Amino acid sequence: MIEFKDVTFVHPTGTTALDHVSLTIGDGEALAVVGENGAGKTTLIKHITGLLKPTSGAVLVDGEDSRERTTAELSKKVGVAFQNPDHQLFSENVEEEIAFALRNFGFGEELVKQRVDWAINFFGLEEYRRSSPLTLSGGEKKRLTIACILSWDPGVVVLDEPTVGQDVIQKEKLSEIIRMLKSAGKTVIVVSHDIEFLWPMQTRVVVMSRGRVIADGPAAELMLQRETLASARVSQPQLVALYQALKNRPPAPFVHVHDARNWIAGLVK
Amino acid sequence: MNWVAGGFIFRRTESVYHRLDPRVKLLLSILLFTLAIISRSILELLGIIAFVLVLSEIAKILRRVSRTMVFTMGFAAFIFVLNYLIGKNLLLSVLYAARFVAIVVTTSLFFITTSPDELEQVMNAFHLPRDIVFAFVTAVRFIPVMLMDALQIMDAQKSRGLEMQKGNLVRRVRNMVPVLIPLVVNSVIRSGELAEAMESRAYGAVARPTSLNLYRSSLVDRVVSVVAVVLFALAVYAFYFVFPTQLL
Amino acid sequence: MAKILRMDKLNFKYPGALHRTIVDFDLQVEDGEVVILAGPSGCGKSTLLRAVNGLIPHMYSGDYSGEVTVSGAVVKDEPMRSLAQKVGFLFQNPENQIFMFSVERDIAFGLENLGVPRDEMRKRVDEAMAQLGISHLARRAPHELSDGQKQRVALAGVLAMGPGLIILDEPTSLLDPMTASELVELLDRIRREKGTTFIVVEHRLDLLVRIADRIVVMSAGRKELDGSCREVLADDRAEGYGLSIPAVVKIGNMMGPGMFRGGKSVPTASELANEVNSRAV
Repeated sequence: MIEFKDVTFVHPTGTTALDHVSLTIGDGEALAVVGENGAGKTTLIKHITGLLKPTSGAVLVDGEDSRERTTAELSKKVGVAFQNPDHQLFSENVEEEIAFALRNFGFGEELVKQRVDWAINFFGLEEYRRSSPLTLSGGEKKRLTIACILSWDPGVVVLDEPTVGQDVIQKEKLSEIIRMLKSAGKTVIVVSHDIEFLWPMQTRVVVMSRGRVIADGPAAELMLQRETLASARVSQPQLVALYQALKNRPPAPFVHVHDARNWIAGLVK
Repeated sequence: MNWVAGGFIFRRTESVYHRLDPRVKLLLSILLFTLAIISRSILELLGIIAFVLVLSEIAKILRRVSRTMVFTMGFAAFIFVLNYLIGKNLLLSVLYAARFVAIVVTTSLFFITTSPDELEQVMNAFHLPRDIVFAFVTAVRFIPVMLMDALQIMDAQKSRGLEMQKGNLVRRVRNMVPVLIPLVVNSVIRSGELAEAMESRAYGAVARPTSLNLYRSSLVDRVVSVVAVVLFALAVYAFYFVFPTQLL
Repeated sequence: MAKILRMDKLNFKYPGALHRTIVDFDLQVEDGEVVILAGPSGCGKSTLLRAVNGLIPHMYSGDYSGEVTVSGAVVKDEPMRSLAQKVGFLFQNPENQIFMFSVERDIAFGLENLGVPRDEMRKRVDEAMAQLGISHLARRAPHELSDGQKQRVALAGVLAMGPGLIILDEPTSLLDPMTASELVELLDRIRREKGTTFIVVEHRLDLLVRIADRIVVMSAGRKELDGSCREVLADDRAEGYGLSIPAVVKIGNMMGPGMFRGGKSVPTASELANEVNSRAV
């Protein structure tokens, strides 16, 4: 469980990046954090693993204060995939790259081998096993960074802007991975400004603006609040905008395109 | 790392000193630097340092320069100890340490008060080849970017269990590899992208590019230069002929 | 209307590559058009863009055949310094195309390179900054700017050189939707004020189709689809080529050709809703 208890974070330059944020994320929850660039989303997740420590308030991970542990220690429980794979890939080959974190966390060589094999298998990276990670395409690099994290099986997985620069096919694969994580009972936190990507996942959504949490609730309810979203400079998913503009509509907004299709087909006989 | 950044990176400030022609700022620092090198007396060196601090006050950067000075004391102490241990005279060792501090602050004064644009101007004034000047200016422009990259890379690797603060010296050096490699790789990629952008903006089209801003020296600049040279000559005279006291 | 770009049977293979990256590509773009170039990652879009502004073949050599003409100049024969004034290129990463320590110096970069006289340069730089709403940032250093601002600075630098055609390589991919939307608005305004032609490589179609005239779809180096936005988005094959069809368009497509009353624009959610409301039984 992750708790933010009235956390405020002020940069050395004086800007307040987090302003009295209180938030609890339970085990196995799926959470989307949305808001414009600069709203504090990345700052928020950096607090979870102690990359940043609060100026006031506290962040607790399973009851432990983030200030009492190093980032490496906290990362064993909370795997964070940052936005830019080019900021972390460095090993001779894909095998070594996945093994890196495992070795850092003290896994024995036998277990390391097992985990590496599992990750390569699961993410379809077998043909690149002995290749340099730098030779992979953008989408493959992204998958590799996620594979690296899942290899040590953290209970919480955080994805920071996973869809940036990805095309439709790559985004589909990401959606699948997230679905798989959810069904495996992991706590999943996705930070993204890609509303269309997040909407079908129907997770809990936290809306951030200027360092504050201005809304927190299930996607189906939150995405209907146009003004709140607009004040955070977040757009509504197209299906929701469509739903709200229809005179005749079902009780809940459309989640997928085919839901909308079927409903409209029923209307315009 | 911070004192290095604080001591040599330009930050925009408004002062009479900053407004001087960069060539004049360079002249002032060079003259002071030269005095520091040729001085053979601790008192003279302290005098030079004091003078730099006065100029820093005029330039409104006294706090940064004095902070740099405090940090160089560490190295200065090291120099003192090293010289004393290998048998040099006590006062001579102090002299060397003081000289080090003087050299650092006179150089720091120039870099803190001169923007990269002005640095470029100075280099052009010395007719350095265009490619070299451009490479230098671009490199300086990317220093803050690379610092940010390094921080992000460290964050990413720490999140993979890399403990940067623990371990003996060998361990710590080895732990820098996962940070250095991505940094270097990113720099190489960046260079490639910059090269494309340069070509696309007609770099090298003309042998003598024109310049957006015109830099002309003013009367103040000329007066300051003359006064500086005169003071320099007086100081040299004083150092060698008026106060020929050894060391102190 | 004049054709600002003519590409005839372009073929290009990088040295040492097994296959051609661009295969028998024909493309014609009229003056003032806004064309989206789409396709799955790795299909050769970036290579194609570079063949238009001359980086291929002037900076990157390889097996090159066919002809590309921009504003009447044959790209293969024309030197980069001349091509740079006809075709502007906005790269994906705003950081790696800003060289100078101040915004106005960077915008002047291309003009300085060309030896443009100071007064003329000043005028063009000021104009470009005004057009993009960044005049107040003139003396700022790039690392003090947000990504959206950096993108505008880069665009100003390109505009200042006065090209008739501007190519943009995924200009919004690193921006959040609101900032991306603002950039697209800017492109539209430039198009209206100066009649500039745009070719934009983008995955995020939902923003760009609002101002685009055409979509050209590329796959494995070949041109697969080429038509108005409405046509291409209604084509069954489009999604197979990695195009991210906006949800509203998918629904509109499914409703059949009678859904919308002509026009080349692509519907918004409210337009679709209005249509449905009026047709509901």
